[in-house]
Parts: sequence; C-alpha cells; structure tokens
Amino acid sequence: MKKRWPITILYRAFSSSTTSTTASFPLKHVKKSNFDSALSSLRHHIQAADFVAIDLEMTGITSAPWRDSFEFDRFDVRYLKVKDSAEKFAVIQFGVSPFRWDPLKQSFITHPHNFFIFQRQELPLDGAAYEFLCQTTSMDFLAKYQFDFNACIHEGVSYLSREQEDKALKHVNSTYKDESLDSWHSLKEIRDTHLFNIPDILFAERMKDRLSEWLGGLLRNRDEGSEVQPSFNDSKQQFETIFFKMRPAISLNGFTSHQLRLIQLVVRKHFKDLAYLRVSGENSCSQNVIVYIESESVKKMLMKEVKDEQKIDAEMSIKASIGFRHVIDLLSSEKKLIVGHNCFLDIAHIYSKFFGPLPLTAEEFISSVNKYFPHIIDTKILLNSNSILQQRMKKSSTSLSKAFSVLCPQIALGSKSTHLSLQPSVKVEVEVDDIRSSNWNSGVKHEAGYDAFMTGCVFAQACSHLGIDFKQQSSSENLAHNEKLREHVNLLYLSWTNGEIINLSTGNRTSESLASNKRKNHYPKILFECIVIVWGFPSHLKAWDIRECISKVYGPTSVISVYHVDETAVFVQFSRAEMVSKFLDLKESLDRNNDPISVLHPLAKLLEGGNTCAASYETYKEICSSTVSKVLFADQAKAVGIKWKTKLVESSDKTKEHESLRKVKAVNSDPSCGERTKNKNFDDVSNDSSYSQLSSDEIIDSFYTREAKQI
Amino acid sequence: MVPKFKPSPLRIRSFCTKTVQQNPHHWPIKQITKTNFNESLSEIKNHISSSDFIAVSLQNTGSFSSPWHRVSTFDTPETAYLKAKFAAERFQILQFAICPFKLQASKVIAYPYNFHLFPRDELKMGMPSYSFTCQTSYLTAMAKEGFDFNTCIYDGISYLSEAQESTVKVRMGNPMAVDHATKSSSSPALSVADTVFIERVRSRVKHWKNACTDSDIKTEALVTSLRKIVLGGEQFGSRPSMTIDVCSERQVQLVLKMLEDFSDVLVPLIIPAKGGGTQAVRAVLTSSDEDKDLLKRELQTFEFEQNKRVRGFREVIDLISASQKPLVAHNSLNDFTFIHSKFLAPLPPNMNEFICSLRLAFPQVIDVNYLLKDIGPVKKMTNISATIAYLKNRFFAPIEMEIPNQANENEGKIHGHNVVKICQLFGKLCSILKITPDAIESSDDFLASAINRYANIFYSLPGSSQEPTNEEIRGWTNDKRKVSCEDVVFLWGFRERISAGILKNMLQGSHEVFAEAFNVRMVDRSCAIVVFGKPGLSNTFKNVMNSKAVSGPLREMVSDGLKAAGYETYQRVCSSGLWESALADALDKTLASHNCLSEAAYETKQSEIYLSNELINLAEL
Repeated sequence: MKKRWPITILYRAFSSSTTSTTASFPLKHVKKSNFDSALSSLRHHIQAADFVAIDLEMTGITSAPWRDSFEFDRFDVRYLKVKDSAEKFAVIQFGVSPFRWDPLKQSFITHPHNFFIFQRQELPLDGAAYEFLCQTTSMDFLAKYQFDFNACIHEGVSYLSREQEDKALKHVNSTYKDESLDSWHSLKEIRDTHLFNIPDILFAERMKDRLSEWLGGLLRNRDEGSEVQPSFNDSKQQFETIFFKMRPAISLNGFTSHQLRLIQLVVRKHFKDLAYLRVSGENSCSQNVIVYIESESVKKMLMKEVKDEQKIDAEMSIKASIGFRHVIDLLSSEKKLIVGHNCFLDIAHIYSKFFGPLPLTAEEFISSVNKYFPHIIDTKILLNSNSILQQRMKKSSTSLSKAFSVLCPQIALGSKSTHLSLQPSVKVEVEVDDIRSSNWNSGVKHEAGYDAFMTGCVFAQACSHLGIDFKQQSSSENLAHNEKLREHVNLLYLSWTNGEIINLSTGNRTSESLASNKRKNHYPKILFECIVIVWGFPSHLKAWDIRECISKVYGPTSVISVYHVDETAVFVQFSRAEMVSKFLDLKESLDRNNDPISVLHPLAKLLEGGNTCAASYETYKEICSSTVSKVLFADQAKAVGIKWKTKLVESSDKTKEHESLRKVKAVNSDPSCGERTKNKNFDDVSNDSSYSQLSSDEIIDSFYTREAKQI
Repeated sequence: MVPKFKPSPLRIRSFCTKTVQQNPHHWPIKQITKTNFNESLSEIKNHISSSDFIAVSLQNTGSFSSPWHRVSTFDTPETAYLKAKFAAERFQILQFAICPFKLQASKVIAYPYNFHLFPRDELKMGMPSYSFTCQTSYLTAMAKEGFDFNTCIYDGISYLSEAQESTVKVRMGNPMAVDHATKSSSSPALSVADTVFIERVRSRVKHWKNACTDSDIKTEALVTSLRKIVLGGEQFGSRPSMTIDVCSERQVQLVLKMLEDFSDVLVPLIIPAKGGGTQAVRAVLTSSDEDKDLLKRELQTFEFEQNKRVRGFREVIDLISASQKPLVAHNSLNDFTFIHSKFLAPLPPNMNEFICSLRLAFPQVIDVNYLLKDIGPVKKMTNISATIAYLKNRFFAPIEMEIPNQANENEGKIHGHNVVKICQLFGKLCSILKITPDAIESSDDFLASAINRYANIFYSLPGSSQEPTNEEIRGWTNDKRKVSCEDVVFLWGFRERISAGILKNMLQGSHEVFAEAFNVRMVDRSCAIVVFGKPGLSNTFKNVMNSKAVSGPLREMVSDGLKAAGYETYQRVCSSGLWESALADALDKTLASHNCLSEAAYETKQSEIYLSNELINLAEL
C-alpha cells in the first residue's frame, strides 16, 4: 500500500506544476452566508441528476495508532473501528457534485459544490458540550493542501442530526406543555425567598409605589378616555410604557437580574391585575414586561398566547438549525444513486452526523443505511472488481487521483488535450452559478468539492467502459437499475486492507476474488479463533523475540505469525485453535506460581516485568468497542478497566477444532508463508514508529492518514 | 492609540509617558509564530531575566465536556486535580501568552508576548500529541474574537515536553559526548572476565589507532584500507572512528575507563540503543588537542541545534523555568496542569505528586484569585475584566501600564490581552495589599516572605457558574461553612429536569433523617448532592437506602430508581477516569465495577470540602 504513494505524489507534483499559474477550477464554495440560495439551486440540480458524487474531509481518521485498519480486523472489529472514527472526528468539508446527462450536448453537466461545515451549539440543549477530535497529522495534511480552517470555523454551515432535532423538539414540547413547569414554577420558588436586607426591602417598596402610581394613572386615564401620560417615562427609561398585545404594559430596562426578581415578587404579591412576563424581544434578547390585565381569565389567555408564540419561536429556531442536513435529506428523499470513492467511512460519518448515533453492530448499520440511501456505488470497488476496468486502469493504483488521471486524462488536463486521447471518453462540463465551462485547470486535491467531481468523472467514464450508453439511457430510468451496473451497486469495502466487501442490500460479506486482487501481500487466511492478543510485555521484545519465545514451548510450527498492533501489543496467531486456551492456561499458571521453575520457563522472558496480559480475540473486540482512546494499546486496556492479567477461554467443542485443523493444513501448505509474513510485519513496525529518518519516509508518512482512506 | 476617556486634571500627571496604554485593545502584544520565533528568543530571554514576575495565560481548545466535569465547590483538591488532569490531557493549547513584568511604585512595565502553538508531528513519532479534542463552543468563541485558525495550524510553533525530548533523543540514536557524571562513577572491582574484555578491546583500539596514524608513513593505500576494514574502522564526520560494541552498562564503564589511557587523541562517544540504554561506544580519533576541542565544540553545537529544533516552544518554558521567577496566573490549577502535561511530563496520578513535580520547574506560582481572597469576597472571579472593574470601584489603586514592546505592525488582530490584564490585576492587588514594590526592592528576604505567603496555592474553586444562578446555588455559595465529605451523599435516578427545590420537597417528607436541616444541590441534570447538617445522618440515610427496611415515600422513590452513594464513590469515579457525560451513569458504572473489588482499597483522605469560596492551601498538605 505504502509503496504506491510516491506515484501519487509525483502525479500531484506534475499536475500542480502545469497549472499553478492559472485560475482555479470552477467550484461553488458554500458557507453560512450563501447557504440558502445554494440549497435551493442545488435542489433542482439533484432532482435532475442521474447520479450524485460525494466526498468528505474530516479532522482525522484514527483516534489511536492501534485503531488503524489491520489485516487482523474481523468484520465486526472493522466496523467498530469505523464507528469510533465517525463518532470522534468532525466533518469539516462536504463535496456534492450532481451529474446530469445532457442529450443535446452529448455530455454530462455537473455542478460541483464545496460545503464548509462546522457544527455549532446553536440550541440551548443541555448535557454534554459538542466536541470533536483532531488528529494532528490530518490537520497538518489539510494545512499542506491549504485548507481554509477560518472559512470552516468562522463561516461553516452548521447542522442538526435528525436525532438531535427530535430531541430538541421534544424538549420544546415538554417545556411548553406542562403548565406547572413553566414560569409558574419559577415563581413559586421566588415566593420562598424572603427579603433579607434593608436595601432590598426599600427597593421593593419603591417599585410597589411606582407600579401603583402607573396603574392608578392608567385606570384614571381609561376612565377619562385620554392617552396614557408620557410623563411617566422617567429620565432613565427604566419604566417604558408600551403596548403589549394591545394592552398597556411597562417594559423594564436596565435592571439587574436581582432587581428584576424583586419586581417580579412585588407584582406577584401586591398586584392582582398586573402580570409579569418574560418574552423574547426583536433581536432575540429577552424582554421583561409588566402587562395590565382585567381578570384571571384574560391573564390565562394572555399567558397561553405568549407561550404559544414562544413555542413557535423555539420550533422555528430548531428548524433553522437543521442547516446542512437539508442536503443529506434531499439526497435521501430523492433516492438518487450516490457515488463515492472507498466511501464506507464517509457513509458512517454521514449516518452519525446527520441521522443519529451509529448502531452497535455492522448488520444494523447496513440495513439502516440501505433504508436511507438505497443505491450507493463505490468507484474503488468498481475499478477493482471489473476486468474491463482493470485493464483500463493498466494495473495502476486505484487511489482517486490516480484513477482520475488514468481514466479521464482529457478532463484531468482540461479539454485542451481532448484530441490526444484515443479512447472513447465521456465529456463532462462544469456549471457554476449558471456559467458553463468545459475548459479549466486542475483543482485542489483533497478539497471535498473537487474530489467529489473527480469521483463523478471516474464513475461516468467507468460506466462508458462498461458499455453503458448514456444516449440510450432514458432520463426517467434510474441508473442504479442498469443491468450492467447492478452487480456493483451497494457493494462497499468494509476494509480495503483485507479486501472484505459488504453488500448493503443483502448484508452479505465477501472477500475480493484473488484473481482481481492486485495487492502484493497475501496473508494466510486469518482464523480469529487461533489468535491471542498479548500486551504489556517488556518493551524491548519485538515480534521475532515473541515468536521465538512461544515456539520454544510449543514447537517451531506452532506460531503462524506475530503481528504488532502497536509497540505495546501483538497478535499471535497459533496454528491450531486449542493452543489459544493452552497458552492462556499456561500463562495464568506461570503468573500465579512464582517458583524457580516458572522463572526458568521459556515463557518467562515474555512475562518479565509482571505486566504482560493476554486474552483471546474477543477481548480485542471488547477493547475496540470502548469510547476511550489512549494512544498506546496497553494504556487503553487499563483505561477500559481490565484488571486481570489473563482471560481464559473455555476450550471449544471438538467438531470446531477438527474443522479449524483442516483449514490450517491448507494454510500451512506453504511453510515459509508464515515466516515471510512475520518478517514483513517486523519491518512494518520499525517503519511505523519512524526509526528511520529517510526523507521519502517522511513524505510517505505525511500522506499516510489521508490517503489510507482512498487507496 | 489615544485613550477613549478624558483624563481628569488630577490624574493627568500619570499620563505623561507616551507608551502608557490604558485601552486594552491598543496594548501592543507581540504575536509570535513559527516565522519570527527564533529571532524573538533572545529578546524574550532578556525580558525574562530582567523581570520581577512573569504572568502566563493560555487559550485552550476546551475545558470541560459535561457540567459535572467542571471543578466545583464540592470538590476536594484531589478530585479538582483529577478533573483538571482529564481536561489537560485531552485539550490543546493554541495560544500561550507570557508577560515578564516589573512593578515600580504604581507602574507595571510589561513585555507581553503571545505565542501561537500547534502540536505538529515534526519528527513523525506521534509527538507531541497524536490527537486532541476541540470544543465547538471554544472555537466559535475564538472565531468571534477574530482568531486566525489558519495562522495557528499553518504557522503555529510546535514543541516537545521534557519527557518526550528524552525519548526522542534515544530514538534518534545520536552519539552523545560523555559527560563527567557518567565517566567518573566509582571504579568497579575487576573480575577476570572484565580484564579479558578490557584487554581485548584495548588491543583492538591500539591496532586501529596505529593503523590510522600509520597512514602518514608510506604504506600501501590498499593495505591501509584493508587493515581499516579488518579492524572495524569507520568515519565520523571527517575523522576516523571505531565502534566498540557493548552488552551492558558495566562494559560501557569499563570501555570508557580504558579509553582514558588514550585520552590524548581519542574522544569517546556513547551511541544509545533504540530501546534505551547503550548500544555501543565509539572512539573518535583526533589529530591534536586543538582538533579534539574542535570536535567537542562541533558535537555541542550539533546537539544544541538539534535540541532547539526539537524543543520548539518549550525553549521559552525552559527559559522561564531557568529564571526561577515567580509566575502569576489566573485559574492556576487549570493552566498549570496543561503546562505540566504539554511541556514537562505526563501528569502524575495525584495532586501531591503534581505539586512536587511542578515545583521543581516553577518554584513559585501565584494565583491572583488567591490574592483576591485577602481583599474580601468577590463573587465572580472567573472574569478578569470584571474583577478589575470591581476593584476599581472599591479601591483607589491606579495602576499605570507601560508596554515598551513594539507590536508587529500590519498585524491584523492582537491576541493575548488576558495576560496583560493579569499583570494589571496583580499590580492593583499588590498595591492594595501593600506588597509594595519598594518593599520588594529593599530586601530580597521580604519579597520572598511576602510572595511565599501567596505562592503555590492552586485555587481550585471557581465561584461562578454559567447558568442563571437560581436561588439554591446562591444560597449555597454564600454559605461559608466547611462541610465534611462524610456528610455528603450523591443522589441520582430521579426523573430528568427536576429542580433542587422540588427534590428537596420530595425528600423532606420521605424519611426521618430529612427532618433535620439539609441542603440539596444539582450537580447536573442527572444527579444531585445532599448535605446533611448533622453528622452521622448521612450514614443512617445510606444504610436505610441499602436495607430492606426502607419504607414510606422513600421506598416509592427507591422503587422508581433512586440511588445514593457516599463521597468516596464520587472520588472513585474521578480516579478511575469514568468520565461519562452524565454523573449518574459514571456513578452507576463505578458501583458496578466496584462490587467485585475489595472495599478497603479506598480511603477518604481529604475529608473536608468547602461550600464557599474558601481556599485550600495545598502547600500545607
């Protein structure tokens, strides 16, 4: 995987050097200020679109190094890792590019939108503050591509998930439904307080006098039928006579909250025909008014009226906070074909940010996603699974920018070089703010809008290679139902690392067929019941030492591979499943007996220091499901609350053992296989912890976080 | 740059200096990023060494995620520390403002700097931090102040903590010159094996040395180079060198001792192993004494330059630490847990160790909040500007701010005002409390005692709250009594959005323990604390809750899910790091995990908490 990055870098360097001087790619940047207008035009574009390409930029990928994607991820563990990533990191840019076939121009028209999004806490919801994680390398990576953090944080479009909206609405309903919980309730508490000190008593007396003066004047005037005398308004304008709902009222200004409380108390105590109200004023700041009312029934009516208004206001502000989710709702309700590139993580982000908390299991997640987005296509799978496209890709990397440059060179370089390409190519035109262009310069990679555009172009070109004729395609027919695409729809890479694919419509998991697999490192099939995770061992022990140590006990063929999760933990894959429980039993007894025999035991080297812990693969899953993320796995295990040193497993039943035995034999047919794996892992680890200081490694590492998702 | 208000004739004299700036928005605060960091260092160093005090102030990406994570009046120093630790480990410092200042009569001469930080992983080792948390509300607030996030992320200064630097040094495996401490450790008694080892190495070194020096005489070049290969010679820079592999620290000592015999021309270097310890000793051949000195200097500069690059902003922290000047902060527990965790080492598990460790780096930390306490009760102490205004109304203590710095021109926004406000507030407080600068100058002893009275007290009880204060909380914070942790019970499992008043009403009639005076306060939506006025009642109540004998209205409430636990459970929540967003969940989890462990492991050490804005002097603990 890593070895392909330099190619990407070269391509990037090449493309930027050719276009750095000229104007940028036409892209519609959407921020808070132009969101509403952009949304209404986007609505039409999406409705008319044949498919919509999307791309997301996040503040990070993995919350700890050991949460990275490994070959040793079982599908449920893989989901937990994706879930953790989607829950912890924020989406800061969202690219949406609707593509529509224009039969007149014989080309696709696309409207690439680049949304800056940033969730603000706009509603006074209680509980935890909104927060998100930033991975420093990812932030640095975005900075290298000149990501505009100011645009995002200052002017990003906010949003509410469906779940947050429901919660907020419920909150509003309960606040305004329950009479006793409203202002009455707070008044009751006020009655409890007594006037303690002389200043308070004097102030209350003064207020009482002024209010009765005002009330007296009001009643006199009403009897005389004249205007309310303006002379009442004193110099400070603290008492301003106004009309509130067609009733005479006093607006209170410039009092402290303590004084307001005292006034409230005075009104309650001494004036039956005055009501104290707190209403929201014009510029959302609350206003305190005292209203004249004739009777209790009028008062109730007035209160209800005010309350209803406030409720509507509150609901309006919730609706207004939905923000960017409107775009997602639109994509979902229009049931358009969604196109992404290696987009399982993207979909998980969309789910957790705009629908609700991610389900606990992959199965539930998949079925819900399928409900919201019935048709999703992943261009990375498309390119890898179809032999025609593989041929077209000429065995090159399927990273997005690479695929774009190989499949759509005429678009990548602008239409200047259209005549250069000999292959039939799909024409794409870009329209931004009603200005069409078919001639542009390369955009900024890793800008969500441009990445979405590239994804869409790759997909359009791939369709044409598959023999889909857009001229024949009627506009009413959904592209997702096209028989040439049908076998690719709703397949997503659960993990690119081990080529596991999941079908969103059926929930079936399949491994990528080996024939089409270009990846170089084939691991022996991983049997998770043969795996033990060991952590907290002495830090100088490396994979090789651990393998040697265990081999001394169980023989040279007992260990298939030892894989570093991070510097503090390893997976040990045994050749047979029953060795897992044997190993754990042995370790447990060695820990327990501190006699000379256990000290001299070959495993003692591994147990040195007394902090070595071991458990089966299930414990690894358990640790992955925790919301905590410590950088080192050993610390994580501690933080999750693991206090034991060995978790024994009940030996599995015989039939299962036989089955796994047979499987292992097949795997072991190549005896050097395990060895090679081990060596490779060993190298990997030393690379990861960056012992070497080669500059090429530095470049590679810097691309690591972001590219991992697209390669 | 003209002050907005018109000075009265009486005060006009105090405005004679041109540099005096009273309007905070015109304070010239030097903004430092990666680009101008190195060039500013020496200037900062001078200002630090000539200052009396150094004020510090941080801008972080967040503070607490849930209401109960905030340090509150019901926290003991220990729980307060654990809360601050949790925040310091997750959030990040984006701006670090320091201000070395001098106090002269009623004048503060200040040199404020505001550093923009970003934890860039320059060495690709996951340092200084793999990731950090941001709180949206903090970023939004910073945005409102015009904070430039692009400058911060593109151009922020990175850093490594002391602890990280030493790991990095080992990992990079740079040769280290032997300092005298390692060399002169007591000469060990030699065993036979040692002697054999030494003699073997000695003869190797001798041969190699001769081979190298022989090359002056006309031997055949081929022979020389062959000999060099055979003898394991290599180049170190332009000089020949030889690596001697060692298996233990003892062998390192032996080799170093032996090399002393060749000290006229050989310089020993230690090559650290990647996992720690020593991998080998390298002997470098120099041609003369001058050449030897040159090599030593080269090594020093190399190390110095590299360390500087690696340390980044910590250079400034080291300067402050080396100056041993008293530091002035506002909300020091929060700031110094951050400083300790980012620039010194990971935070220790408890408050005492933290204070000890921090003192080694910063012997005196003064919290302005603690000085304020001597003046009298000030309610809202989290806001510096409000405190300054408050003091202005109550005391006549004009403080003149002189800031001779030239802020970088064409700077869009000036950040870091707080640090200057802290200086101003400190100056005011010193003048009110008669810690007069004259006294400070006249005698160092006096200064020491005056400052020592206030130093190293980590004010852990911020008095204000962001919610509109309702009557209960006000009653609560005005209460000056100390309450023993014994008398505190945490209650949860009631319906959401209940108020303390209603809960108190419900409890009042539910059991006889509530016949006596007691107090209820909400910690967050899910949990309340009950404080019993009479000792012993809390235990009675807890026992009742856990027994079958519970009856009457209380039984109703328990059946509805009401739960209770003592203060020790809360302490366990904090120490086990179960920072759930609702305290009720955290308490439930702690109880669940605790049931399988022994009870005796935890003791309530600090048994007193304070219900008012009292302070806890941690130096006395």
